[in-house]
Amino acid sequence: MILCGPARGPNAIDRRTHAATADEVEDKRRMKIQLLSAAAALIALTGVADAHGPTRQKTQQQVEINATPDKVWKVVGNFQDASWIPIVEKTEGSGGNDKDATRKLTLKGGATVEEVLDTYDASGFTYHYRITNVDVKVLPVTNYSSKITVKADGDKSTVTWWGAFYRGYPNNDPPAELSDEAAIKAVNDLYKAGLGNLKDKVEKGS
Amino acid sequence: MRSVLAALCLVAAGSACADEAFITNQSGDDLTVLDLATGKAVATIPIGGKPAGIAVSADGARAYVTSPEGKSLAILDAAAGKVLSRIPLEGGPLGVAVHPSGAPVYVADWYGERIFAIDPAKGAVTAEIAVGKSPSGLALTPDGKTLLSADRESDEISIVDVATNERVATVAVGKHPFGVTIDAKGERAYTANVESNDVSVIDIAARKVIATVKVGERPYVVGLAAGRAFVSDQYAAQISVFDVATLATVGEIAVGDYPEGVQASRDGKRVYVVNWSSNTVSEIDATTLKVVREMEVGDGPRSFGLFIRPTP
Repeated sequence: MILCGPARGPNAIDRRTHAATADEVEDKRRMKIQLLSAAAALIALTGVADAHGPTRQKTQQQVEINATPDKVWKVVGNFQDASWIPIVEKTEGSGGNDKDATRKLTLKGGATVEEVLDTYDASGFTYHYRITNVDVKVLPVTNYSSKITVKADGDKSTVTWWGAFYRGYPNNDPPAELSDEAAIKAVNDLYKAGLGNLKDKVEKGS
Repeated sequence: MRSVLAALCLVAAGSACADEAFITNQSGDDLTVLDLATGKAVATIPIGGKPAGIAVSADGARAYVTSPEGKSLAILDAAAGKVLSRIPLEGGPLGVAVHPSGAPVYVADWYGERIFAIDPAKGAVTAEIAVGKSPSGLALTPDGKTLLSADRESDEISIVDVATNERVATVAVGKHPFGVTIDAKGERAYTANVESNDVSVIDIAARKVIATVKVGERPYVVGLAAGRAFVSDQYAAQISVFDVATLATVGEIAVGDYPEGVQASRDGKRVYVVNWSSNTVSEIDATTLKVVREMEVGDGPRSFGLFIRPTP
């Protein structure tokens, strides 16, 4: 999976098609507690939830899609529908595509990510948003902000997903899983999976 | 003497007398020296340790560069474009300022609640000054008597008496002040408050905030020129401009993405903006508020501090 998650992650749950058993309900409950305690530990560790390291990272991924920007924008351009990102199960939010609109993504496996829209330019096919709440166990970053841009490229489109963020560990000498490298890898993996799925969705209509 | 120098400058027709901009490229681990006459990079100096903060001495002889990941302060011969020495420091050295007389050099510890005072000649820390949480930007009054520190996580500035190295007051400002800038008279200070999207205007002698000015999304640094404040709004990719006398908004100027460092030319006619995401420096005409030039620099430029080097 692209996003690092708890051991009983999205795959384990995706494969099941039957109704949830008591064991599964218990699994989900336990996972939620693990996530909550991880978040609490992080806050206790830093003292301040929005503290961050000294070096912001940036990365981007691009994909070429065999469709016009209009068509691509219909799928990627609605801030209230992030279903083109494979790990997202549900998008709930308010404010539409206006500045300061919010959305809460529920990921497969139950973790959530809260985001707010900073700028939205429908004619320029671009928007900038940021994460206001995410557990570093889900995405090992802090102070994450992002921009998605669709550009015409002949009769095709190029989509760029760009992000700026600090590593998950806000202090000196981070552990490997919360290092700059881990943050960059996690974001790149997310972008590759998201853009790959976007391409499939637009080109195949899947 | 000064008029003789000025005359020589005229004869030399610009380039020899133009100022330079010292741009810390944090992602690129180096420093770009821009000749502001030609707009071209004239040197790239390897630094290492993810350089971020910069302070050029008033005489232009030295540049001090912090590396928060490398935990050090690099001392540069600014004219030669060479690193002379590196002073190891604890914590996360980020903000840096140099005393108007040339020494000491002050470095803020992002992870600590302290500022290091450093004697650059000895290459040693001579004092630690206790301040608030996550001290970020540093600035000195022109008379060299007072040091200000923007204490990001404390939402206040510390006022430090340079003679005693003691904090003598704190002033509550907006949420998460990052850059702090003092005007040429040493009367007012301006903090860019990242999380409250405003600028606190501080009367330094009275030790109080006299106004709060709303700006764009995620302001980082304030530059001062032509009676105006120029504020880098990182998430808005723009500079917010307000009149420092009336505090009225003058306008916004679109620049590169994620602008951070801002400083005016010595004559106050131009404002230079360092764009972290775009890897460029925008040059703004302080009167017309137009971007007149974009200059390429290294990767992830910040230049957090005073980065314009006066050339003799």
